[in-house]
Amino acid sequence: MIHFNDVTKVYNGNVKAIENMNFTVEDGELVIMLGPSGCGKTTLLRMVNQLESITDGDIMLNGKSVRHSNKIEMRRNIGYVIQSNGLFPNMNIEDNAMIVPNLLGWDRKKMRDRFNMLMELVGLNPDEYRKRYPHELSGGQQQRVGVARALAADPPVMLMDEPFGALDPIIRTHLQEEFLQIQKELKKTILFVSHDIDEAVKMADKIALLKGGKMMQYAEPARMLNKPSNSFVAEFVGQDRVLKSMSLYTVKDLADALTLKPVLESPDSQNINENLSLRVAISKILNQEADQLIVENDNGTRKGSITLDLIEQFLHREIKESV
Amino acid sequence: MLVYLGITIGSKSLTRAFADKFRRCPPISDLIDYFTTNFTFILGYTWDHIKLVGSAIIIAILIGVPLGIYCSVNRYAASTILQIASIMMTIPSLALFGIMIPVLSLINEGIGTLPAVIALVLYSQLPIIRNTYTAISNVDPDIRDAANGIGLTTFQRLFKVELPNAMPLIMAGIRTATVLNIGVGAIATLIGAGGLGGIIYQGILRTNNTMILAGAISVAILALIADLFLRLIENLFTPKGVKK
Repeated sequence: MIHFNDVTKVYNGNVKAIENMNFTVEDGELVIMLGPSGCGKTTLLRMVNQLESITDGDIMLNGKSVRHSNKIEMRRNIGYVIQSNGLFPNMNIEDNAMIVPNLLGWDRKKMRDRFNMLMELVGLNPDEYRKRYPHELSGGQQQRVGVARALAADPPVMLMDEPFGALDPIIRTHLQEEFLQIQKELKKTILFVSHDIDEAVKMADKIALLKGGKMMQYAEPARMLNKPSNSFVAEFVGQDRVLKSMSLYTVKDLADALTLKPVLESPDSQNINENLSLRVAISKILNQEADQLIVENDNGTRKGSITLDLIEQFLHREIKESV
Repeated sequence: MLVYLGITIGSKSLTRAFADKFRRCPPISDLIDYFTTNFTFILGYTWDHIKLVGSAIIIAILIGVPLGIYCSVNRYAASTILQIASIMMTIPSLALFGIMIPVLSLINEGIGTLPAVIALVLYSQLPIIRNTYTAISNVDPDIRDAANGIGLTTFQRLFKVELPNAMPLIMAGIRTATVLNIGVGAIATLIGAGGLGGIIYQGILRTNNTMILAGAISVAILALIADLFLRLIENLFTPKGVKK
C-alpha cells in the first residue's frame, strides 16, 4: 500500500510542484497518474523512492514512512521501470536483470532459476538472450528486460515512469496487454505515470488526474469518463469519452446486463467473441460490416445477438449507474 | 621518414658553421648500420625511457583518475582543477625541468629521475583528468537514474556502472598522455634522467646526424608501440557491451 499524506514539494523556496497530495494506492492495485506535462506526476512518483525529496507531508509505504527509511534498502524493495529502460550497456542481459538479487547476495542457482522464470514471463527466451548486450536488442525487447529487472527481487511495489512511452504503437499495445496479464498473475501494487488517456483507461484500476501539482480527480476509469468531476477532467479525457469508456466493457458485460436479441438469419451478420470489447463491437457495426453481431463464447456457442440500439441502451444505463 | 625530411629541411636554417656539418644528411644505409652495431646500446636507453615514462604514467593515473571522478561530482572544483591542469600544459617542458632543479635541490634531488617523473606526471594530468571527467559526466543520465532507483550505493554505481561505461574515453586520455610523455621524456635527459633523449643530445653535441636520427626514430617507434599496447589493454578492460 502506498499512502500519500499531505505531500507537498516546493522548489527553490517558492515554486510549488506538488500541493497537499492525499491519496492511497491499495495493495494489488494499478494506479495510473495522468496529466499534462509539468503537472508533477513524475515528481510525485520519484518521491516514493526518494529520488526526489519531500518538502512537507509524508508517503507511507506499507506502513513505513519513506522519509525515515534507509533509501538504499527501500529502493531494492521497489521495482523501478523508466521510459528509456535504463539498462546498463556494460552488462549482459542476465547481469542486468539480476542486478538487485546480486546486490542482495542471492546464490547463483537461485538467480539462474529466477532469471529463466522472469524471461519466460516477459516473453523472451532466457537462453537466447542471457549473454547478449542491451544494444543488440530492439526497443521492445529492452523494455521487456527492464520490466524483468524491476520484478527480479519480487518487490511488492512497483514504480513505472511511462514504461511504454518510447515504443511504437503496435509494440506498445502488445506490451500493455502482456503486462496486464503479468499483473493479473502477480498482483503487485503499482504506481504508473502516463500521459496517454487511452493507456490509462485500458490498464488502470484507478486513475489519478493531476494538474499543476493538484489532484483533479482520483477515480476508476469508468467513473472518470462517465462522470468527470470538473471541466478540466472532462476536457482532458476528451469529448469522445463515451467512446473511450466502451473499451472498458466487454460484450459479455452487455450480455450479462441486458437480454440479448434473438439471432436472425441474415446475410448482414457477423460472429463476435464475448470477451472482445464493446469498442470493437460498435466499430464493426459502424463500419457497415454487419447490422447484427452474433455473440459467441469461447466454445463457439451462440448466446444471442447485439445491435446498435442495444449498445446505446447499455451505455445509457452505465452512465446513469456510475452517477 | 618525416623526421629524416624535417632534419634535411631544418638544417638549412642553421648557421653557416654548423650548416656545413649538418647539411649532408646521412644515407639510409648509415642509419641501418648504426642501429645494427649499437643495438644493445639503444635498447638500454629505450628501457630507461620506458621506466621513466611508465612510472610517471602509473603515478599520473593514480592521481588523475580519482581527481577526474571527483570533478564529475563537484562541478565547482572541476573548473578550478581543470584550469590548473591546463596551465601545467602551457609551461614549456624545458622550463618546467628547470624549475624542478632549485625546488628539489632542497632535498638533494635537483637532477635525475625524481624531477623528471614529477614533471611528466604534471604534464599528463590534463588529458587524464579531462577525459575521466568528461567520460563520467557523459554517462547517460537515464542510466544513472536507473542505477539510483534500483538501489545502488554511490560506490556501486561508480564501479558497476559509471566507470565501465566511461572506460573507452578514460583510456583514450591515458593513451594521449603516454604518447605525449614519451616525447617530452626525451628532453628529460637534460636534467640527467637518461632515456632516448640521451642519444639525440649526444648526436647534437657531436654534430652526428645519424645519431640524432636514430634517437628520434627510436622515440617515435616507442610511442607507436606504446599506443598499440594501450589499445590492447583498452580492449581488454572495455566491457563487451560498451564496444561499438
